[in-house]
Amino acid sequence: MNKYLEYQKENRIIRKISSKFKVEVSIQRKRRVWVAVSKKDLVEISNFIKGIGFKHLSAISVTDLIKEKNYELTYHVWSYQDNTLLTIKTRINRDKPTIDSVVSIWEDNAQIHERELHELFGVEFKNNPNLTPLFLEDWNNTPPFRKDFNWRDYVRDEFYNKENKREEPYWDAPL
Amino acid sequence: MNDMFKKQEFSDKQKKVKKLKTQMKSLWVFNWFNSCGFIELIPLVGSRWDMERFGMILTSTPRHADVLFITGYQTIKSIKRAKRIYEQMPEPRIVIALGSCSMTGGMYWDSYNTIKKLDNYIPVDLYIPGCPPRPEAIFEGVQKMMEYIKNNKKMVSKS
Amino acid sequence: MNPNYNTTERELEYSLPFGPAHPGPGNFAVKLRLDGEKVVSAKADPGYLHRGFEKLMEYRTPIQNAVLSDRICVFEPLNWNLVHAQAVDELMDWNVPERAKYIRVVMVELSRIQSHIIWYGSMSKAIGFDTGFKLAFGYRDYILDLFENITGGRVYPAGYICPGGVRKDLGKNMPEKIRKTLNKINDMLSKFEKFDNLSILVRTKGVGILPLKKAIQLGATGPVLRASGLKTDIRKDDPYEIYSKLDFDIPTEKLGDSYSRLLILRREVRESIKIINQALNNMPKGNVIIPSLNSGTHINLPKGEVYVRNECSRGEGAMYMVGDGTEKPYRCKIRGPSLLHQIPVLEYLLKGSQIADVPAIYWSLNPCPADMDR
Repeated sequence: MNKYLEYQKENRIIRKISSKFKVEVSIQRKRRVWVAVSKKDLVEISNFIKGIGFKHLSAISVTDLIKEKNYELTYHVWSYQDNTLLTIKTRINRDKPTIDSVVSIWEDNAQIHERELHELFGVEFKNNPNLTPLFLEDWNNTPPFRKDFNWRDYVRDEFYNKENKREEPYWDAPL
Repeated sequence: MNDMFKKQEFSDKQKKVKKLKTQMKSLWVFNWFNSCGFIELIPLVGSRWDMERFGMILTSTPRHADVLFITGYQTIKSIKRAKRIYEQMPEPRIVIALGSCSMTGGMYWDSYNTIKKLDNYIPVDLYIPGCPPRPEAIFEGVQKMMEYIKNNKKMVSKS
Repeated sequence: MNPNYNTTERELEYSLPFGPAHPGPGNFAVKLRLDGEKVVSAKADPGYLHRGFEKLMEYRTPIQNAVLSDRICVFEPLNWNLVHAQAVDELMDWNVPERAKYIRVVMVELSRIQSHIIWYGSMSKAIGFDTGFKLAFGYRDYILDLFENITGGRVYPAGYICPGGVRKDLGKNMPEKIRKTLNKINDMLSKFEKFDNLSILVRTKGVGILPLKKAIQLGATGPVLRASGLKTDIRKDDPYEIYSKLDFDIPTEKLGDSYSRLLILRREVRESIKIINQALNNMPKGNVIIPSLNSGTHINLPKGEVYVRNECSRGEGAMYMVGDGTEKPYRCKIRGPSLLHQIPVLEYLLKGSQIADVPAIYWSLNPCPADMDR
């Protein structure tokens, strides 16, 4: 079958977005479209996308790219009318991560995801009404899911007893 | 007269064992099911492996209970609550640790939020291994506990 | 109230922790503010089971992760096994054999039936209906005996659905045993339907109503969304494995209260029985795992990213995996359905209800705290 006929629905969505904004697009397979935008256009594009019919925010995720000194944010959105999944990607600085929040668009759904990411990665979302810690109590260290926080070293210092010879296989395990 | 008063001086350990002997026919269990291990404690209450024929029922408050089951891994947030529950139970009391996560850390041995050895926080009387242990294994463990009490052997941990 | 009485409303309120050591919730706490017997506001308090799953998976290879992925949610281990196996399959881009796909569907639907039985039993216990609790957990043991014969474990199947297929074939007499067990489950369902005129109807009808617009805005998925009126199911809209070849129905209701969620539960068990019978009748012969994996070769994940969505028994379960050329995944994000059901939806539903209705509302959303904390 011709590739154009096979991806008709996805191509229609891409045409609607790229006629208004300047973005990079790619189709991975049926029902999966990936879009890369810059940090300052994020809220405008999200508003437009919700108007087309993408009402269900599935997840927000952060990937820690330590070699390029960036955090990469991904927003996965699903539409009940068209049965397609659209993913929006942006990049922010790793040492001072701040970005505008999308709570004004997807409301309570987005607020919980951003609260969890603030606690585990240290990302600052402006205009989020509630960024108190969700899972941990009295945690004073660095955000735990960053790539430069080695768990096996931390566990060895904190929980195991170096004078007890029988615990040696645990704190000396190979990586 | 002085002889009568001397006879009633038992040591602390013997007092605990003597009291437990009378309660052995009905040990009440505190209804606090935590993390993965509890999924094999619920069939114990059901009709296939009936634990009420041994006299064990569930209570909702720790102040009436004799046995505390710690089933599975404990995070730092929930070990604080477990310690408070342990101190609310009246003496004599038994703590049973279920599963391999409470003995050595188990599958989450390199996680930053779980505890690795339960004996550092609460004194434990009996360990039952498994992931999770079968209901028949739990019965065998409780039966060993009852034999210890009956033969008046020394309790393993400090009270 | 005497209008000359000089107090403000705030002085009459008091706060009550509906906490973790309570047979009502279980591993989860809610802080309620009450005025007499009416709930004014509720605040959720999660985090009692947080192990940091997403970073634990970065230290292990995909075959070791297949054993770790059962423990994401303890009530439905085989469904989460399938989510992880599908993510690795799509990254590696290889062809899973046909017989393995049919076996995967049979095991996942059996696990869904078992999870719905736990839902019915726990909800009955919280309301005070002990007969339903004992019957439900009694019938669940027949399915656990089947799991022990096929995979080796009653509760955790030790990574039975692994990347590349399944680990072992079903035995020769296994389809006959599965059909006998399904007949017993049919008996159980007819008994449950007779109980409808008793205490369950009175305690759950008209309690905890969730309108459709609010449900989409707060992020509800799965049976909670279907009870409010939207006819959607990931097995039909975004199909995976062999679901596009099977014939089944999607039950929906209009009102959105606790009783309609209970009705959907029973109908979904009947649809699952239909699916298992169709899959057993049409199963082809052949391999059950990719032949090159049997001798223990090294898997290197290529560069790329995938997002996999599945219909778990509680809602939408999804995984986002990033590979970077080494043998361990670079990032593995897990999206559980209970994070949205237990914090925004519960706080919205508990406002303005009576305190005696709190267990009936909480258990009708079918929560799993392990799914929320990971």
